Amino acid sequence: MPGNIKEASFDALVIGGGIAGGEAALNLANNGFSVLLVEKDLSIGGKMILLSKVFPTLDCSACITTPKVSEISRHPGIKIFTRSEVTHIVKRGEKLFEVDITKKPRYVAEEDCTGCQLCETACPVIVPDQYQYDLVGRKAAFIPFSIASPRVAAIDIENCTLCGACEKACPPQCIDFTQKEEEYIVRVKAIIIATGFNLFDPLLIPRFGFGIFKNVITSMQMERQLAPTRPFNTILRPGDGKVPCKIAYVLCTGSRDATVGNPICSQICCMYSIKQAQLLMGALPMADVTIYYINIRSFGKGFEEFYEQAKGMGVNFIKGKIGKITENEKGDLILRYEDINENRLKETEHDLVVLSVGSIANHDAAAWFSDGELKLDPFNFIYQPDSLASPAKTSLGGVFVAGTASGPMDIPDSILSAGAASAEAISYLIRQ
Amino acid sequence: MAIIDPKFGKKLKKYGAYEFDACYNCGSCTAVCSLSTEEDSFPREMVRFSVLGMKDDIKSSLKPWLCYYCGECTTYCPQTANPGELMMSLRRWLITIYDWTGLSGLLYKYWLVSLFAFLLAAAGVLVFGYYNDYNLESLMHYGHLFEMMAIAGVFAFILLPNIIRMWYFVILKPGLKISLITYIKDFKELLIHMFTQKRTLGCDDSVRRWFEHFILVISYLTLLFVTVFLNWFSTQYLFVNILGYVVSAVIVIVTIDFIIDRIRKKKEISKFSQPSDWLFVIWLSLMGFTAMAVRVLIDTGLLEKNVWLYLIHLIILVQWALIIVPFGKWTHFLYRSFAMYFAKLKAG
Repeated sequence: MPGNIKEASFDALVIGGGIAGGEAALNLANNGFSVLLVEKDLSIGGKMILLSKVFPTLDCSACITTPKVSEISRHPGIKIFTRSEVTHIVKRGEKLFEVDITKKPRYVAEEDCTGCQLCETACPVIVPDQYQYDLVGRKAAFIPFSIASPRVAAIDIENCTLCGACEKACPPQCIDFTQKEEEYIVRVKAIIIATGFNLFDPLLIPRFGFGIFKNVITSMQMERQLAPTRPFNTILRPGDGKVPCKIAYVLCTGSRDATVGNPICSQICCMYSIKQAQLLMGALPMADVTIYYINIRSFGKGFEEFYEQAKGMGVNFIKGKIGKITENEKGDLILRYEDINENRLKETEHDLVVLSVGSIANHDAAAWFSDGELKLDPFNFIYQPDSLASPAKTSLGGVFVAGTASGPMDIPDSILSAGAASAEAISYLIRQ
Repeated sequence: MAIIDPKFGKKLKKYGAYEFDACYNCGSCTAVCSLSTEEDSFPREMVRFSVLGMKDDIKSSLKPWLCYYCGECTTYCPQTANPGELMMSLRRWLITIYDWTGLSGLLYKYWLVSLFAFLLAAAGVLVFGYYNDYNLESLMHYGHLFEMMAIAGVFAFILLPNIIRMWYFVILKPGLKISLITYIKDFKELLIHMFTQKRTLGCDDSVRRWFEHFILVISYLTLLFVTVFLNWFSTQYLFVNILGYVVSAVIVIVTIDFIIDRIRKKKEISKFSQPSDWLFVIWLSLMGFTAMAVRVLIDTGLLEKNVWLYLIHLIILVQWALIIVPFGKWTHFLYRSFAMYFAKLKAG
């Protein structure tokens, strides 16, 4: 459809609508620059909007994210493209980038949808809800999650049976199955990459039994169970819906492990596991929580105190990485590990196992540029040529990096990094 | 108090170990090990001892012998510190520690010494042949005599004292009190493990490996018995003759399979080969092969004209009996069985 290509120009393009991208976009827009924020998902807010609480303050994550998300989406200087992907970026000259963007159809007229959810009620198709990390189901016509932004329905066309029930149910009649992909060519002066990270896929470690044993879940699934917008309103193990009473955390699942190609530390798992353990102590006062670790890395401000607090609350910490997990007939899990402090091989039973999955690079960005223009580091994060003096600079002038696209980091560091990236971008934009 | 030898790690690398100092003490190796138990947890402890240079603790430990190199620890080590090969290197090092003569150490560490020893053994056989005018009958007579003397001599002067040293390091020196009755009662453990090698079965999916080792050991011992005590090369009995053929064929087939594995390097256990590993499998294979060839020539009446073949067999035999058996990898067979016996004694 070459004739349908739309053109637009902005001062800056921010790729990724998570907390880092959102913060960078806000900073740029508040300084008077026009910003296009491109998000590939249906909602902005990234991973943070789905989290329960943040460490080490135990502030509600959604309560911090949602005001920020509202501010971003209402800002006159920010244009948001959700469900859109950058496909190609060419640097035409100093302060001139040409970016190809594909805006995928939602099959719902965004501006008309009121978020009434009647389409959801009408839709007969039920599939696993990716925003609840498959713990529960959702419809094929759905609002991604209750605090999504935009809070607008979408049709999951891959699972949709085209029965038309939603169309009939929709009061403003905004469901439109004729929507097509839209191609954009956008001219911008500067780019901030804030594409974030991916969670490690625990299926790559079959001996932990994820995907085979139902009561082995990921830390993100536990995060959802602890969040204000949680699926069950309590903590349940997926196998049989029992409230767990002996929960184990397996740290370094897919981090610091050369056998899965990720030898580096993910920097967040120790602390989010400690956080979840504390929240579990509150949610299930009778439960035992044990964290199996190699080393607890509590390096940030207030982190060590937070760790001590967890110990004080009665969370068990055992030094020793889990080697194998097996299941018994009750659906409980037997963890085999060496207790390093006792120098002894042990097997311990737990009724729920949480795999503290690490963060893996999202290296989509490199493919948008011509060969090798945007360099990646050995672990596929975006390479920072001057990581000490100008950490936001990439190997290509005018392209900056914010947040976990440059390496594993926690939320405060991501926001700091976004601040640095937007400051660098602004000084690049105003430089003569 | 533990005594630490900072140079120990470097020394150990001469025995094949490498990168074990990358270990960050997560215990994955111990936790995935099929043979590790609550009472005897390894290999992480041994890796730690090696990194720190705690030689005495390794010397008094049976754990290196309780490891049968399934290789899971190395497959799953997140730091690729290769604990499996470290355990193998500790076994090589322990062989040199148990050996009172100190010759094992020289042979393991310096391949030139090994080469010299092998050449010396070959030269000895050739000189001996020369003084007997390469007369087949007297060569075979003395060859047979040598076999008996070598078995008795190596056992009495090398292997027995070395086993006593092993016992001293692991039982006596740490001050363990074990009653005579326990020694007698648990003695069957030694025989069971010596002849069945059943612990190999503890490794996951290793039935084939166990079976190969089992028939190899049985065939080797039978060949020894048939040639030395039933005098295979001079026997008239058809049964003994055929038995000799069968067992030497088994030795050749199994060892060739081992050699192929070591060349292919597909399994964890055959990925890393030190000279001592190559010498062991190749010489065992040659032993079986040359013994069979000699008997073929005897049966076809061609040996008279091919005395050289018997000389080659004798050279291999002498190198095997005087170098590999007392000082090389052959001792695994002995120390492993005794380790299981001693472990049982320690457990009480």
